[in-house]
Amino acid sequence: MKELKILAVLIVIVGVTYWGIEPLAHSIMHKHIEEAIHKYNLPDYKFSDLGSTPPLDGDPVKGKEAFQMFCTSCHGLKADGINPPMDAKTAAMSFGVVPPDLSNVTEFIDKKFLYHFLKDPAKATENKKFAMPAMGLNDEQIADIIAYLESKAKKVHGAELFKEACGRCHGAKYQKIYAETPPENLKKYLGKVPPDLSIIMKAKGEHYLVSFINKPQALLPGTSMPRVGLNKEATEELMKYLDEISDPHKEQRQKVGIIVLVYMLVMVGLTYAWKKKIWKNVH
Amino acid sequence: MEKKGGFMGWLDKRLAVDSLWKVMMSEYYLPKNINFLWSFGVLTMLVFVILVISGIFVLMYYKPDSHMAFDSVNKTIMMDVAYGWVFRHTHAVAASIMFLVLFVHMGRGIYYGSYKAPREVVWVTGFILFVLMAATAFTGYLLPWGQMSYWAAQTITTLFSKIPFIGPDLVIWIRGNYIVEDATLTRFFALHVTLLPALILVFTAVHLYAVRIVGSNNEDGIPMTKEEKKEKGIPFWPVFMSKEYFVMSVFLLFFFFLVFFNYNFAMDPINFQPADYLQTPPHIYPEWYFLAFYEVLRGFFFSEALGLIAFVLSMFIPLFLPWLDTSPYPYVSGKHRPMFKVIWWIFVADFVALTILGKLPPTGLFAWIGFVTSIIYFIFFIALPIIAAIEKKKVATGGGR
Repeated sequence: MKELKILAVLIVIVGVTYWGIEPLAHSIMHKHIEEAIHKYNLPDYKFSDLGSTPPLDGDPVKGKEAFQMFCTSCHGLKADGINPPMDAKTAAMSFGVVPPDLSNVTEFIDKKFLYHFLKDPAKATENKKFAMPAMGLNDEQIADIIAYLESKAKKVHGAELFKEACGRCHGAKYQKIYAETPPENLKKYLGKVPPDLSIIMKAKGEHYLVSFINKPQALLPGTSMPRVGLNKEATEELMKYLDEISDPHKEQRQKVGIIVLVYMLVMVGLTYAWKKKIWKNVH
Repeated sequence: MEKKGGFMGWLDKRLAVDSLWKVMMSEYYLPKNINFLWSFGVLTMLVFVILVISGIFVLMYYKPDSHMAFDSVNKTIMMDVAYGWVFRHTHAVAASIMFLVLFVHMGRGIYYGSYKAPREVVWVTGFILFVLMAATAFTGYLLPWGQMSYWAAQTITTLFSKIPFIGPDLVIWIRGNYIVEDATLTRFFALHVTLLPALILVFTAVHLYAVRIVGSNNEDGIPMTKEEKKEKGIPFWPVFMSKEYFVMSVFLLFFFFLVFFNYNFAMDPINFQPADYLQTPPHIYPEWYFLAFYEVLRGFFFSEALGLIAFVLSMFIPLFLPWLDTSPYPYVSGKHRPMFKVIWWIFVADFVALTILGKLPPTGLFAWIGFVTSIIYFIFFIALPIIAAIEKKKVATGGGR
């Protein structure tokens, strides 16, 4: 049939164009990202570039002592009734960013990463300007502190996880979540106000975000985003949350979409039947 | 329609709806040898209606203010308003698909010689409609105030600064500021929702009027009088429209598939980041329907000035098709003009290549292919008068048809 031939030609032309401006163009524009992901084998939840870790089987009781000696001058641990020494505003002014409450960190930050972080925060985060200095802790003290933190930590989900893992610098204003640190302090500390994450999933996509959070410097060299060492479970949970908040009507869209397409299919049938009927007498 | 009396009879006495219906629909005859590509004209009207309806709904919640625009689109319309996302998706996808339908409609017009006498006015008004659509799309793309909205507007308005003498002042006049800012957003908004759609309506009316006068062309480009068409042709209503409805249904099936399941090509992910005049995105590109012209701008002899001239030419040169192609063949269709057919296919292939290259980074090999393809674009228009001259000779020596 001639008309089908024309349609086939049309489909080929449109298909080639679409292939060129979407998959091809994106694969070329994002080549450096794919290369970085491949090079560092991201996401790397072992944080293999940081080297090996001694056995982390400390004593939580000794850990509490060490915690009070080394950590409480900046951090709180509400789960054990330890309040931060300053209110958020004063802390932000003193340090550039509000130091996190450490109640649940071991639930979402990888334990090995935490060890390396406590050894040398700037190295582990790959951020030279990182607000926390190296505390000169030995391996035993670190293991004890981690054991103490683990003994108090509870699992956090969804918005709570987002607030604890990202919320000191990032907000999600469509969820009425605002960064704990005031934007003017963040700007001084990081050079710019970190982006709001309400619809970041739409802008960046999971593939990028997972690797970026895992090793920011690999995908965006020079970024002031520190590596925070989220573990696999927390990363996945966070992705789920970011996807939900960026696209709250996904389920509705798919459901309505199917109904509309079925309706249009019926219309195709009906209009074809009518066309046949009218054209019967034409030829 | 034949029945007199009743409400229709009452109305007919006052508005002559009967004769209007006959002239526009039931006694407007089309040739029989046309294919489904002739349905794309009505499809553009369908898409325009979809754009207006979805546009009115998004307009109810949109805030033309640089501090509120992004959130009013991405929060209010996309999340808070019940089914607001349907209208936003529909509006964005329809804007994109409008150009696909327009390109097919125009490509069909060129292939079958529908721009040639006596249809010059049809072609010219149609071309003006294309330019108006482009302006509407360009102004509309700024409104969500995302990163790509902002930087596309910034880049394209900067082009005006290259115009000799008045350029720099003109850019500030267009933007209403030294950079693209709130003033730019509000004026683009005003044009997008008032003047441009109003002009589109006016030119659509003239375009349709002109088609009703000269009639549709056909696959073979055989000139037919109204009487011949009445005898051998089909009436617009109900015969042509019964086929049109079928084409529309298939089109809408495809369209709604895009709206619900594949909309990223019309809503670029980068545009879900709010506009930031301090942070230039690594790749700036216009929407896909401007990519070919954009590539001419970038590729033409790698020169800013020449590129800009070529860019303007590439957008407006199709307007002069009826006067570039003066072939005397009575059958105007490209189907019966072998040389024309060859350059038409080269032109189509070139346009696709330009569109793809327009999105790729202009480096290395891509830059050179872009350079070559942007020149080939013009070869079509240069070749037309030459082919016409050859055909004139053929006719003089008794060849041709």
